[in-house]
Amino acid sequence: MPPVIDLQKCIGCGNCDRHCPLDVIHFDGVRNIPYVKYPDECWHCGSCRLDCPVEAITIRFGPEMLYL
Amino acid sequence: MAKNLEKLGVTFETDVLIVGGGLAGNNAAIAALEKGARALIADKSSLYRCGAIAGGVDHFMAYLGTDTWDTQEAYLEWVGRIARGVVNLSVQNAVFCKELDAAIERMDRIGCTLKQPDGNFFRTQSLGQPGPYFINFNGKQLKPLLAKEALRLGAEVLEKCSISGLLTDGENVTGAVGFNIRNGNFYIIKAKAIVLATGNTNRLFENPSGLPFNTWQCPANTGAAQTMAYEVGAKLANMEFVRITVVPRGFSAAGLNALTGMGGKFVNASGEEFMSRYHPSGNRSPRYKLVEGVMKELYEGRGPVYIDCRHLSQSDLDHLKRTLGYDKDTLPDFIEQKGVDLGKDLLEIMPSEGMQAGPSEVCGSGILIDEKTASTAPGLFAAGDCADQMRCVHICTTGGYLAGKMAAEFAMGSGKEPKLRLPQIRELRKKAFAPMRTSGTISYRKVEDTLRKMLWQNAGPARNERSLQVALEKLEELSQCFKEIRAKNYHELMRVHETHQILEVAKMMCTAALARKETRFGVYHHRTDYPEVDEEYEGQIVLWKTEQGMKTSFKKLDYDKIPLS
Ligand SMILES: Cc1cc2nc3c(=O)[nH]c(=O)nc-3n(C[C@H](O)[C@H](O)[C@H](O)COP(=O)(O)OP(=O)(O)OC[C@H]3O[C@@H](n4cnc5c(N)ncnc54)[C@H](O)[C@@H]3O)c2cc1C
Ligand code: SF4
Ligand code: SF4
Repeated sequence: MPPVIDLQKCIGCGNCDRHCPLDVIHFDGVRNIPYVKYPDECWHCGSCRLDCPVEAITIRFGPEMLYL
Repeated sequence: MAKNLEKLGVTFETDVLIVGGGLAGNNAAIAALEKGARALIADKSSLYRCGAIAGGVDHFMAYLGTDTWDTQEAYLEWVGRIARGVVNLSVQNAVFCKELDAAIERMDRIGCTLKQPDGNFFRTQSLGQPGPYFINFNGKQLKPLLAKEALRLGAEVLEKCSISGLLTDGENVTGAVGFNIRNGNFYIIKAKAIVLATGNTNRLFENPSGLPFNTWQCPANTGAAQTMAYEVGAKLANMEFVRITVVPRGFSAAGLNALTGMGGKFVNASGEEFMSRYHPSGNRSPRYKLVEGVMKELYEGRGPVYIDCRHLSQSDLDHLKRTLGYDKDTLPDFIEQKGVDLGKDLLEIMPSEGMQAGPSEVCGSGILIDEKTASTAPGLFAAGDCADQMRCVHICTTGGYLAGKMAAEFAMGSGKEPKLRLPQIRELRKKAFAPMRTSGTISYRKVEDTLRKMLWQNAGPARNERSLQVALEKLEELSQCFKEIRAKNYHELMRVHETHQILEVAKMMCTAALARKETRFGVYHHRTDYPEVDEEYEGQIVLWKTEQGMKTSFKKLDYDKIPLS
């Protein structure tokens, strides 16, 4: 399962969009918010969370991984 | 010419083009720039967090001269033993040993020291090592720190750029082309020398979790360098091996070395410590033996299998808990969300997916390189997991740096201005965007899923002459679907290119596996029709492109003398 972005905390810096090694997160320039565009392609590397300046990103694993 | 070029795409010019800005590519850029050459790095992602080390790494293999096992000679002697039949000691000496001291110093200088806060090295022993060769360190910020250093030295960077083909003048490589994965801009890069550094090949075999991007190594690495080098006639070696590891069940995450290095034990359903039945080093056996042990326990009905850390001292457990996230940032989250406490509970494990990569931590798989990291195609160098003698953080750091130096020397010494050929660029451009124009409706994912299942069945941890031939026939048939794979946007276009690369690497793997009529590194190349190790095969299967298709030859390797100069 992909990362969860807390839009209440997000300040729209764009780091997660720019740094994701798999091009999973894209930035919606109109609404000025990031969104997870390709959830199935997340590698769970944690880069988006590491580089978010306001800790708006959490990683939650889905049942398909936790209970396999 | 310049005008005509500009009509085709956005143009760049440099001395050394580095394809892939991960660990090896970033080190190559630093070296080329320090030599005074211009360097341009192209990567599909951003230089700050791309490739295998994006979220961090935690161990660096090295000898430090503290004891008899801790010398260059002892290290090379061990390497020749553990990676016999694939490792070229003379190249290892050049790409690792001679660059080691400078690499340790460089890590320190850029702010990613290998030392603990108390100034000492924290060393652990695993994977069949004769002594604690692994230095544990905090590599969480290694990627951004390397990026900063390259930018400080003046690197030019093309981010979100997928390189799709190399340019040649019939003799030397002269540059490369690629496209922006967001806006589709076509890039034409003229270069005097090229370092390929796009890593190993993932998403190649069926993933036991059913999730193709849930991979141990970086799923953005799909064999681009191997495929492009092959196209321009460079030779490749060690391509037959299917690398597998042991991962927590459900999550194909790195972290095994941290657990076993601290003393974690492998146990089966009845609590038996089973690894001693497979190898004298038990829980600290070479990786391919650990995989074999886990697979056998599971398939012979003694599973589930676990890693047991409950016996560790409180201080070791604390160290482990504090540092486990250095290697895979999200592994502590996974363990916690599973409800596992390493001090009290067992952690269930399973074999990972297969991939194309070196069969050992001290030897690679991919483009055949010499002592100068040069491929057999003039002007083309290779570094990191895509080169036949490099693997893991230690050699990708040292060897990446050497490749940058050598490419810069070549670029500045040649004095020749690369000449680009317009028809070649037009052809590559047409090919690159073809999936956006097709009337076909197949998705890349469908083709890849089929390939992965088929390859695991026929060329995975058990293979024979017939199954490998069947795999090659089916791969040929899958190639025919390519015209019909459609990309709806440039992100998908990148994925279609990756599928193509994965398919080409699969063909190389099966062809090389057919040529090695023996078993070596256990399940990494297990020929059920030739189940024993055969001394005749102490050397590399080398492959390259000819007009009649893929050819292979055998290159004997010498282990009688350890090169120390
Ligand atoms: C989570 C994890 C932890 C690890 N921990 C350790 C450790 O502690 N110690 C150790 O020794 N080893 C470790 N390894 C292995 C080690 O990190 C790798 O062997 C090494 O980083 C590979 O370096 P590389 O430069 O070859 O590839 P990478 O660093 O992966 O770089 C390849 C780059 O190429 C780019 N690329 C791919 N295709 C294209 C294309 N067509 N166009 C443009 N760019 C492209 C990718 O985006 C990527 O950035 C770990 C691996 C992982 C995944
Ligand atoms: S965890 Fe890694 S792959 Fe997944 S969205 Fe974040 S940066 Fe991208
Ligand atoms: S990195 Fe954090 S703050 Fe920046 S855009 Fe992403 S979620 Fe928002």
